[in-house]
Amino acid sequence: MIRYLVRRLPSLAMVLGAASLLIFGVIRLIPGDPASILAGPDAGPDTIAAIRHELGLDQSLPAQYAHWLGGVLTWNLGRSYIIGGDISSLLGAGAGNTVLLTSASLVIAVAVAVIAGPLWASTRRPWLEHLLTGVNTLAIALPAFVTGVLLILLLGVLLPVLPSGGVPPDGLLADPTITVQYLLMPATCLALPLAAVLARYLAESLRTEMSQPYVATALAAGVSRRRIVTRHALRNVLPTSLTVLGLQIGTLLGGAVLVETVFAWPGLGQLIEQAIIMRDYPVVQVLLLLSVGVFVVIQLLTDVVHALLDPRIRLGGAR
Amino acid sequence: MTDTTVAGAAAVPGSEPPSGDVPVIAAGNAPAFPGRRRTPLLRGRGLTGLILVAAVIVAGVAAPLLAPYAPEEQIRNANLLGPSWQHLLGTDEVNRDVLSRTLYGIRVDALIVFIAVPAGAVLGSLAGVVSSQFAVADVVTQRVFDVLLAFPALILAIGLTAVTGPGAVPIGVVVVALELPLFGRLVRTATLAVRELPFVRAAEAMGAPRSWVLRRHVLPNVAEPVLVQLALSMSGAVFIDSAMNFIGIGVRPPTPSLGSVLAASVANLHSNPMYAVGPLIVIAVLVLGCQLIAQALTADRRRAGA
Repeated sequence: MIRYLVRRLPSLAMVLGAASLLIFGVIRLIPGDPASILAGPDAGPDTIAAIRHELGLDQSLPAQYAHWLGGVLTWNLGRSYIIGGDISSLLGAGAGNTVLLTSASLVIAVAVAVIAGPLWASTRRPWLEHLLTGVNTLAIALPAFVTGVLLILLLGVLLPVLPSGGVPPDGLLADPTITVQYLLMPATCLALPLAAVLARYLAESLRTEMSQPYVATALAAGVSRRRIVTRHALRNVLPTSLTVLGLQIGTLLGGAVLVETVFAWPGLGQLIEQAIIMRDYPVVQVLLLLSVGVFVVIQLLTDVVHALLDPRIRLGGAR
Repeated sequence: MTDTTVAGAAAVPGSEPPSGDVPVIAAGNAPAFPGRRRTPLLRGRGLTGLILVAAVIVAGVAAPLLAPYAPEEQIRNANLLGPSWQHLLGTDEVNRDVLSRTLYGIRVDALIVFIAVPAGAVLGSLAGVVSSQFAVADVVTQRVFDVLLAFPALILAIGLTAVTGPGAVPIGVVVVALELPLFGRLVRTATLAVRELPFVRAAEAMGAPRSWVLRRHVLPNVAEPVLVQLALSMSGAVFIDSAMNFIGIGVRPPTPSLGSVLAASVANLHSNPMYAVGPLIVIAVLVLGCQLIAQALTADRRRAGA
């Protein structure tokens, strides 16, 4: 296992290194001098020079890159130009909300998939199968902000049962029942595509599993189909479904930007959206690197889980 | 598809087939069943998808005829009106007709999607073919693709527009950058697989030039998965395009786009609930149509392969 990890790490480091270089380079390409933006229109050349020096912009590009990367690695992220304050404290404030939102949507996605997948695989009613196929296609294909606006329109405006956006006025931890009300729509919206992909995968692998000889044996012995699915077949297909789930978590990152924007949820997604609109590049830079990092690490973790389950990958024999 | 492949290959001047028989066998898996293989888009799901996409495109092209007002026209005394016969979807926060803005919004989005996706597909396929032929190019392009794929789609979009600023062209660039690795990987893998097939090896053994084999045997067989990916990519591009417009890094106002109309509607749904309905329906129909086409093509390939 450790050898597998060691073999994977160099390429991971290479991708992350290249991505960081790319992000750094891209942000440097932006026209306009951050120092004069920061100093304001009335500042004299001395003030601008002082700010340039303070930000390290008078150093060579490689030195600036090294300084920035060193800062990121030691969680010394610097200051935000426009939103204001320390970037690390901005991240800290948003991260909690985003983690709450994404974990809620993960729970919803897994719950929906584990119910809908087996139902889809084992149903004998054509209308139900068509319905599930149709809903599944829509859920996979519709962008998160489309379902988000639709939910707001239906449950927030036409039939006002849930708050249309924002966070509870007294904070997320004050009253769990209110928090759940605020969380329900954004989390559902974020969960939908994930649930759909997972349910489709579960259904397809369950159909394959149901043609195994042991299922025929169990059926012949008089075990009910439902029991075979829930007790035997589902358990056999769950491990590989984990991999699918892991691969899809990356889409949650992009989805979070949209969902947090639609529902005014003050997380990292909304932070990056605001930072890009306000041209607060140090914040954009750090958030971009962070999301690439999380994305790549999740992919690695997924591969590791897969390798744990499948020795052929771990030992690298076939490839 | 089959017809154009055969016709195209036959029309290539100066290509000397090494033997009379090989091209006929190789020209595709189609000729034996001409009726069956030609029509996945003209029946069932494929047809439904095609009609949905075509309807949206027609609505966009005919926007000047269909729209009751100009997209940027501000109408007196018409602030956030609900639906009425004058304004079927009501009016927006600066007194513009929402239906007109939605119809004109289709044009920008459709233009971006239908130019950028094919461009990305062509460039990506070229990269795929090149990297399947030359080892050095392979290493370089694969590493570039690795880095491109390390960015979640919307994050890549945000990074690129940080440099270029918002606009229609940046959206196109983002779509191309997203499609490059998809088509590149797909074509590379498919090309490598086809080159191992017996009839291709036979052609090579008979001394057929590499470029001829590539054009005559490999590309026609790679075309089908590329078509499926094209339909899926269209759906993905509608997503990215409207998402970028939605979060405000797309087409600049006051030019309407589906995403920006939808974004503006969120804050005003209480005054005019119909505000969001137009873009919601159009985006849903476009995305669903592309998905149906992709499903029909995939099902057809699966049946043919079986």
